[in-house]
Amino acid sequence: MSKFLRFVSILLLLLPVSAVMAQHEFGNSRISGDFGFNGMYYIPDSLIGAKEVDSKVRANAFINLLYSNGGFSAGMRYEFYMFPLIDFEKIDYKGQGIKYFFADYKNKFIQVTAGTFYEQFGNGLALRAYEDRQLGIDNSLMGARVKVTPYKGIILKGVWGIERLNFEEMVGRKDHVRGLDAEIILGEIIPSMQEKSFMANIGASFVSKFEPSDNDVYVTLHPDVDSLSATGTIPSSNIPKNVALWATRLSFGYKGFRLDGEFAQKMNDPNSTNRYIYKNGNALFLSATYSMKGFGIAASFIRADNMEFRSQRLAFKESRLMINNIPAINRQYSYQLIGDYSYASQANGQIGAQLQVNYQIPKKSKVGGKYGTDITFNYSRFHNIDKQPVAEALENGTMSGTDGYTSSFFKFGPELLYQDIGIEISRRFTKHWKLILAYNHISYNIAQLQGHPGFMRGHLVAADLQYKINNKHALRLEAQHLYTKDDKGSWLYAMLEYSISPHWFFSVGDQWNYGNENPTMRLHYYNVAAAYVWKTTRIALNFGKTKEGILCIGGVCRAVPASYGVGLSITTSF
Amino acid sequence: MKKIALYLIMAAIFSVGCDKIEGPYLQISDRESVDVEFPELNPSGVYRKILMEEYTGHRCSNCPAAHLVLESLHDRYGDTLAIVGIHATSLADPNIDYPYDFRTETGNELANEFTIGTIPAAVINRENHAGGWGRDEWINKLAEVDRSKVYAAIQVINQPKSNGVIKVNTKVTMLKEYPHPVLLSIFIIEDGVIRPQLNGFDLIPDYTHNHVLRTSANGTYGTPLTTSGILDKGESYLYAKSVKTADTDWDLANCTAVVFLHDRVNGEVLQVETAPLLVSDNK
Repeated sequence: MSKFLRFVSILLLLLPVSAVMAQHEFGNSRISGDFGFNGMYYIPDSLIGAKEVDSKVRANAFINLLYSNGGFSAGMRYEFYMFPLIDFEKIDYKGQGIKYFFADYKNKFIQVTAGTFYEQFGNGLALRAYEDRQLGIDNSLMGARVKVTPYKGIILKGVWGIERLNFEEMVGRKDHVRGLDAEIILGEIIPSMQEKSFMANIGASFVSKFEPSDNDVYVTLHPDVDSLSATGTIPSSNIPKNVALWATRLSFGYKGFRLDGEFAQKMNDPNSTNRYIYKNGNALFLSATYSMKGFGIAASFIRADNMEFRSQRLAFKESRLMINNIPAINRQYSYQLIGDYSYASQANGQIGAQLQVNYQIPKKSKVGGKYGTDITFNYSRFHNIDKQPVAEALENGTMSGTDGYTSSFFKFGPELLYQDIGIEISRRFTKHWKLILAYNHISYNIAQLQGHPGFMRGHLVAADLQYKINNKHALRLEAQHLYTKDDKGSWLYAMLEYSISPHWFFSVGDQWNYGNENPTMRLHYYNVAAAYVWKTTRIALNFGKTKEGILCIGGVCRAVPASYGVGLSITTSF
Repeated sequence: MKKIALYLIMAAIFSVGCDKIEGPYLQISDRESVDVEFPELNPSGVYRKILMEEYTGHRCSNCPAAHLVLESLHDRYGDTLAIVGIHATSLADPNIDYPYDFRTETGNELANEFTIGTIPAAVINRENHAGGWGRDEWINKLAEVDRSKVYAAIQVINQPKSNGVIKVNTKVTMLKEYPHPVLLSIFIIEDGVIRPQLNGFDLIPDYTHNHVLRTSANGTYGTPLTTSGILDKGESYLYAKSVKTADTDWDLANCTAVVFLHDRVNGEVLQVETAPLLVSDNK
């Protein structure tokens, strides 16, 4: 509680400053921030699996404060998650305190940060210290960061710190992360390139983590004649304390065309997620896009092999202590019914590609209508990677304690992880009416992506109809149908939204698992919500049921427990 | 010259930031011989015992309440219930208030295997239930184990050797046919470990931790006893494993070997036997 008192006293100290600031006595001084409260009253519902919660009223709350004056800024966030929403309790995001605080100074040449900070090198293959409040991820680093711009178009960064793990104590921890990054923006060095619509950036990163290794690891040797007479141990001296990862990247663009690529390699990193193999990891990300008026095409490719890179080798769950991030390149959807079948990026083994084509049938044409019609086609497919155990692994009957496997780089593994074929048509008919129609065929490997048996193949049809009654009033109807014989069977969803601009918002919706094999589980998950917005403040109230499943944002997922109850959310910024 | 300096800086960064380990990484030691005589087995006196792996943590506020449930179950089932307390998940991480590190590689791998998220939770006879069972369900789940199926008998004799080495000798006798390959695991647990524990909002500095998993003597997933892993009805199989205790802070007088036979594919525990490390237990 002493930290809380410290926080309150800091707030009290800041109050007179803000009062003075209002009188502009400090010139460019500015204080800003935001506040969020998300609470819920839980009601048990045995049918949907919503368990009785010890403390029925739960809430997450935080406040961000930022002070800036010219090149100097300082900020902090106080979080109160002592009795968090059950989603967050499930992932151990529970506690309170100021886990985010920093002081930062920058000028044209240098930027220095002390305290906690977020940072990303390139596409994140080497380092991505980031926050996603909805997912309960905060992988910030506590330490120091320096950014230098020695010459226009050249940016050098250095970071050193301990990675945050929920509300765990960071002082006393021995594991830490070091990183260097260099980026050259050729367009800024050679201005004539920009004039000719060329762009080219190159970059390189080096990230290393340190963690002591005090314990031996025992390895079970599986059945074969030799293993029956032997047992295996990886002595602690054979576990690397320093693990490095490097990456190089390139971006190139000319007019509507753009190419991005990054290749990363990780040195030997035996850990609990790769079952203690010593094979080097690597990842390749490629993306090419071309756009012109009314037409766009985007293709991307990703391959990741043994690339989970965490601050502690014992960490394995969710995104905790992840230093890097292997991006998900598949198209992201907000459709309720396929939320549980969102692809989660597989850093330790995935190969796949994604293609998206956008075309606009021109405005005022016979087919395109007065406002034009947008068509989006999408295809993505991801497999596991090819793995051939090394001779030592075959001999020992286990990959643990060996180089693991070899893998043919561009060969797709035997197991399909995810496939999505989709088409979306969006058309505005009049000033008042707009319709979006979508069809997707999804193949989703539940066993590989969620860890329990099953494979889902399903057809999703979705419609989104918007009717703007006038400048103030608008209606929106969303309807979806997921047809599948797998997993929990087919679902129907409908939601009606009514908004009175700019203050009021109402919605009522229901998901119905009508195709469940078990008639008693053909349940409704209804939800009623209302929100009031005043300037930068939003107050929302909702009542309803949430099904057990997963929540994914950008290929990073967490489990969502079933719940039923009344929720209140308040956000404001100042 | 500038290039040479750059290469030197890069080489320095790499050498500081990365340890390249040269293989072989794994030390493989010969299987040990069983050098004790086991008493004759009376098959009619063998009953099926149950393995209960409880996932816990010293910073888990609800875990002491779950420990009370465990003790009441232990009272009810006596020595037919073998409890292993596995300190895992982030609530088992040490910090300034809870500096002792109860975690083990084995415990962590098992928590991963059984997708343990919220604790307290327990896995009973390795029935693969994602996340384990909550404490309210333990009593029912224990009752659901079919104890009429006595597949095997396990006999255990522990031999203290020099330099703190304890040799765990085991003999498995198959009493029923079992069609799947099986593995034998030897866990070492300790009772009476006095260390801090969170209870509700209170830190109890001298809490008594029982059934604490200390190590697995033969890897997280155990050892097969035959090349195929299949054991034949009526046959007996010997296996021994030495446990080094010299560099540990374990009180050997409070340590127990938990030996269990489990299905290599579905994980089901067929039989479990316990024996104090310092007292030979002739079953």
